Amino acid sequence: MIWRFGLYDNTFDPLWMTDWALAAVLLLPMVFGALGAVFRPSRLLPVALACLPILLAGGVMVLDYQQVGLLRWQWEVAGIELTLRLSGLSALMLLITQWTAAAVAVYTPGYLRLTLPNASVRWLWPLMGLLVSALSLIWLAADLLILYAALESMGLAAVGMLLLSGKSAALQAGMRYLLLALVGSLAFLLGVALLMSQWGTLDLIALEARVEPEPLTWVAAALIGAGLALKAALFPLHGWLTPVHENAWTPVSALHAALVIKASLYILMMLWGILLPETLFAPRLVAWLGMLAIVWGGLVAWRADSLKTLIASSTVGQLGYLMVAFPLVLGPNIAPLPLSLAWDGFWLHLMGHALAKAAMFMAAGNLIIATGESSLKALAGTSRRLPLSLLIFGMAAVTLMGLPPSAGFTAKWLLLQSMVLTQQWLAVAALLAGTLLTAAYVFRVFRYSFDETAPRHDYQPLAPGMDAVALCLAVAAFALGLLAHFPLGLLHGGGA
Amino acid sequence: MIASIDTVESGLAVCLLMTAIGCLFDRHLLRACWLLVLFALLMSTAWWYLNAPWLALVEVILGSALTGGGFIYVLRTLPSQRLWMPRYDRTRVEWPHRLTKGLLIIAWSIMLGVATQFLLPDMALSLTAHPLILSSVVIVSLGMGAFALHHHLMRRLMAFNVLGSGVFLMLAGMAGTSPSAQALITVGLLIAWLGSLLGVLLLRQLVHQEGSAALNDEYAPVRPPS
Repeated sequence: MIWRFGLYDNTFDPLWMTDWALAAVLLLPMVFGALGAVFRPSRLLPVALACLPILLAGGVMVLDYQQVGLLRWQWEVAGIELTLRLSGLSALMLLITQWTAAAVAVYTPGYLRLTLPNASVRWLWPLMGLLVSALSLIWLAADLLILYAALESMGLAAVGMLLLSGKSAALQAGMRYLLLALVGSLAFLLGVALLMSQWGTLDLIALEARVEPEPLTWVAAALIGAGLALKAALFPLHGWLTPVHENAWTPVSALHAALVIKASLYILMMLWGILLPETLFAPRLVAWLGMLAIVWGGLVAWRADSLKTLIASSTVGQLGYLMVAFPLVLGPNIAPLPLSLAWDGFWLHLMGHALAKAAMFMAAGNLIIATGESSLKALAGTSRRLPLSLLIFGMAAVTLMGLPPSAGFTAKWLLLQSMVLTQQWLAVAALLAGTLLTAAYVFRVFRYSFDETAPRHDYQPLAPGMDAVALCLAVAAFALGLLAHFPLGLLHGGGA
Repeated sequence: MIASIDTVESGLAVCLLMTAIGCLFDRHLLRACWLLVLFALLMSTAWWYLNAPWLALVEVILGSALTGGGFIYVLRTLPSQRLWMPRYDRTRVEWPHRLTKGLLIIAWSIMLGVATQFLLPDMALSLTAHPLILSSVVIVSLGMGAFALHHHLMRRLMAFNVLGSGVFLMLAGMAGTSPSAQALITVGLLIAWLGSLLGVLLLRQLVHQEGSAALNDEYAPVRPPS
C-alpha cells in the first residue's frame, strides 16, 4: 500500500536542475502573488506570462521523475528533519494543481473587470499564490510537520479567499468555516501528538515501520480522520460548504472545490493507509457515509434553486464516490486486481472531478455574470444567446455524470469493476443511483435554459478568454478520460 | 528536592487551570481577554519549566502579546455608542443546549483519558504523577466544551485559543520537548495566532454590518438591553 504513495528510499539523487525546479514550484507562486498585489493585473497576458515559469518548473520535475524514479529531498535544520518526495501520484497531483490554478488565474482578470469588486481585491493574488504553494507542498510532503504546516496555511488562505466578496452572508459563512477549520486543525494536531508520543517520529516512512495496530493508533487515526473529514466536507460534515460557495467569487469557488477539498482527502487516504492498513471498520464506515452522500448530495442538487447551490451540492455527492472507494483501497483481504483498479479509479475520479468542477464553476460564473442573476429560472433563453457557456457547462456535466469518453466514465468504470470483483453490490447500486441523480439535476438546468418563450434580456458581454479558459478545462477532463494511460502510467510508476 | 519540583509543577498546573476556567467562563469580555494574556504567560512559564526556553519566548510573543493584543484591540477600537462591542456577553444559553454540550465534554474527556492511560501507564497508578498533563487534559475538555457552548464569537475564539494551548501542553507533556515537537508547537502557535487574528477582524466586520456577534442561527445582540 505504502509504496503507492512513494514512501520508500530513492535510488538516485535529484539533479541540480530539479532542485531549482522544486524551489520555483514552491516559492514562485508566492512571489508572483505578492507582485500581483502590487501591480493588480487587469489583463490576461501578464498573468499568463507569470504562470509560465511555474508550469515549466512543474514540467521539469515530472520529466525528471519519469527518468530516474522517486525523487527525495531531506534536510536537517536545528535537529528537525524535513523530508519531501516526488512520487508518481504527487507528480500527477502537482500537474493538476498547477494547470487548474493557472487556468483559474487566467480567468480571474476578466472576471474582476466585469464584476467591479470592492477594495479587498488586492488580497486575492497573494492568497492565491499562497494557496498554490501550500497545495504543492502538501503533495510533496513526506513528514507530518511539513504536512501540518502546509495543510494549515492552505486552510487559512482558503478562508481568506472565500471572505473576499465581503457580503455579510459571505462573512457569516466564512466565520463558520474558519471556526470549523481551526477546530479541525486541532483535532489533527492532537492525533499527530498521540502518534509522536507513542512512536517518537514525525517521518512518514519511519512511522509506517513502527506503527502497530493498537487502541492508541485507532484514537489517533480517528482524531486525524475527524479533522480532515471536516476540512474535506465529507458527508455528514459538509454543512459549511454550500453557504461558503454561494457567496464567494467564481474563481475562488473553482479553486476551492477543485483542489482545496481534495488535498484533505489525499492526506486522509495517505495517513489512514499508514495507520490503519487492512482495517475493516473505519473504511467501511466512510463508505456507508459515502453512499448516503451520493444520494443526499444528488437530491439537494436536484431541488436547488440557485446555480451555485446546485454545483456545491453536487460536490458533496461526487465526494461520495471517492468515499465509497475507501474500503476497496484500505480494506482487508482485497485481491491485488480490485485493489489496483480501485486505486486507479479513485485518483482518476479525483482529478477528473477537479478539472470538471473548476470548468463548471467558471461556466456557471459566466452565465451568472451574463444574466445578472444566480437563480436557475434566470437561465431561461440562454440557449440561444449564450450557447458556448451552456456547452461548457454540459461538457463538465458529462464528466460528472460519468458518460464516455470523459475521465468520469473511465474512473467510474474502474471503480465499478473493482466493486463487482469484490461483490460490493450496495456500492454498485449507490454508484448507479448517483449517476441517475446527476443526470436529473443537470437536465433540470438544461430544461430551464432551453425555455424558448422567455422574454429577451440584455446580456452582459463576457471578457475575452473567459469562455475559452473554461472550455480548455472541460476538454482537459475529456482528454484525461481518453488518454488515461498517461496518468495511470504515472500512478503505477511508484512501483518501479 | 523532588518534592519541591513537584510543588512547582503542581502549582503551575493549578494556576493554568484556574486561569483557563476564568477565561472560558467569565462573561466580562475585557477581563476574559486579560485572563487569556495571563494564561499565555503561565503557558510560557510552563515551557520554561519543561526546558524549552525558545518556545517560552515564542509563546510570550505570539500567544500573549500578539493574540491577546489582537483580542483587546478589537474589543476596544470598535466605534463607540451605537455599535459598540459589548464588553459583556449577555446571551442566555438554554438548558437543553447546556446539557448536550455537558454530555459532549464528558464523552470527550473519557476518550482523552483512555488515550493518555495507554500512553503513560504510571498515570493509571496515581493521577497526580504528571500534574501538567492532567491539567492539560482538563483544559482541552473544558475548552472543547466552551467552544461548543458559547454563542458569542469572541468567546468561541478565546475558547479555541485555550483549547489549542491545552493541546500543545499535552503534546509537550507526552512526547517531550524534542526539537521536532517544539517545531510542531511553534507552527501550531503561529496558525492559532493567524486564525484568531482573522477571526477577530471578521468579527469586527460582522458587528459593523449586522450588529450581531454570533452566527446567524444563534443571535447574540451587541447592544445591552436598555
